Amino acid sequence: MSVSTAATQARDATGERGSAVGAYGIWQLRDYLMDRGASTLIVLGLFGYLGIAPALSSLSFQMEHANAREIAAAGSLAALRAARMHALTIGFLGNFLGAVVFVGAVFAMQGIVANDRKMGFYRFLFAKPVSPRRYYGQAFLIHWAGFTALASAMAMVFGVVVEPIVSGSLIAVLALMFLLYAAIEFLLSSVARWDWMSLVAVTVASTALWGRFAASNSVFAKLLYLLPPLHRTSEVYSAVANGDPLPWPLLQWFGAYGAVCFVAALVVLRHRRLAII
Amino acid sequence: MIEFSHVSKNYRNWFGREVPALTDFSLSVREGEVLGLAGPNGAGKSTLISLLLGFLGPSTGTVHIDGLEPRQYVESHGIGYLSELVNIPPSWRVHHALERYALLAGVRRDGLAGRLSDAIERLGLAEHRRKRVRQLSKGNLQRLGLAQALLCDERVLVLDEPTHGLDPLWTQRFRDIVDGLRQPGRTILIASHNLDELARVADRVVILDHGQLQRIVDVRATEHDLADGAPYRLVLSRGEEHVMALFPSARAMGRGEFELRGESLEGINSGIASLVQGGALVSAMFPLHSALEQQFREAVGVSEDER
Repeated sequence: MSVSTAATQARDATGERGSAVGAYGIWQLRDYLMDRGASTLIVLGLFGYLGIAPALSSLSFQMEHANAREIAAAGSLAALRAARMHALTIGFLGNFLGAVVFVGAVFAMQGIVANDRKMGFYRFLFAKPVSPRRYYGQAFLIHWAGFTALASAMAMVFGVVVEPIVSGSLIAVLALMFLLYAAIEFLLSSVARWDWMSLVAVTVASTALWGRFAASNSVFAKLLYLLPPLHRTSEVYSAVANGDPLPWPLLQWFGAYGAVCFVAALVVLRHRRLAII
Repeated sequence: MIEFSHVSKNYRNWFGREVPALTDFSLSVREGEVLGLAGPNGAGKSTLISLLLGFLGPSTGTVHIDGLEPRQYVESHGIGYLSELVNIPPSWRVHHALERYALLAGVRRDGLAGRLSDAIERLGLAEHRRKRVRQLSKGNLQRLGLAQALLCDERVLVLDEPTHGLDPLWTQRFRDIVDGLRQPGRTILIASHNLDELARVADRVVILDHGQLQRIVDVRATEHDLADGAPYRLVLSRGEEHVMALFPSARAMGRGEFELRGESLEGINSGIASLVQGGALVSAMFPLHSALEQQFREAVGVSEDER
């Protein structure tokens, strides 16, 4: 009996082979954090700093020159500072949350399937006992968890520097809105190349078409329901920023749209051949 | 073990026209067999391999491995596969790449270290283990590709141009590795342009051209079966002046070397006997092409004048 035969038989007998993709999750998380997560952190950190630093500097100047009437109205200088800091936070979050989610999703999902196909990395990966839908489905979920953790960490840093903002509502919105954009890009990446550009196109088209035809009674306006109502994302971000109750029906719509895209991507991966002809 | 049944694969070009890459290909590959796959560029070898791994689907016909559709087989058992182009993310380190592929191949964590050391040692990658893939030479990258294909003792191995980029030492070691992998339950398919290599390692060689199966050569049976008229090289250390009288069609190549064409084996033997009797000293006599090469040339329609 050859050494290889013995090895094969021993392997089969002892069940040396395990569940393949699950164990690989640690590498997918590492890849996310080292590549996509790091880029997300750098870009959003830079934009966040550029957005908040001048506002904080301006606030300091205003506080130094606050007049007695303003201080009296607020109750104390500290209360006036807190009120202005809160107003700054509301404005910043209202404007910045959308960018965090969109950039985070683009970075997390860019070429997630398409790059492996284009670069030929799929050949060794999927000669192993691994199904593409399981591999990429797991990668999606890990990137989703990674982004949510990363964005929460950034929110904590914001809390230390400016004002605490981490809440269940914030994390839920980050997670659900990421699901929406990321799942659309995941589907686009499973179908074709240029996924991030396609996501931008879908976002722009959806926002513009919903904004223009949402009130229309035309039959064609019903086709708008094929696109997510991205013209209303500001309602979600404003609610988080202001600490208002979240618009759950709208969030459910976004979340469900993302879930449908995610499942559709898995169906595509189940049936689509990997080789690019 | 592997069954291709009337498989055709057509591609569409930019203008929507169908271009056949493989036409009505049927073949059974037995368990325990080492099958060579030869053919000129564009013959359909890569398409055939992509069909076998399920990376492409056939336009018509069926492919089965152990009775299963290719993707079904691969996703439940795995195939040891080395592609012609070794595509591994360039930022990965060698030992990390092998660890990743081993995990995906289903090697459990407790047996991982041993398997990685074996693979690294077997393919001589120890000094490169911490290098990034982009830092590897062509030959080392090829060895890494081979290492990942051999990580898991798969029952089916598909090696596409396995010695491409390897130096002569590692080409020889590759042959030893394939010999070591040969076992009754394992099927090995090797695609190569190197007919000499295929003649050494394969049991049968399939010759493809223009997407069609041209010939199946039983390498072991044809090893000593060169046809009459095949070209031979005759090398003499002494007595070369007598050659042209005995072999009028011979071509002098200089330094006592002659090319004999169109001669029967009997004619060559009796001619050499006469040369030796006349005082000539024959230092070598060998066919210009191996039996497999001869068959290949016939199958793909290469004439002797096109050499």
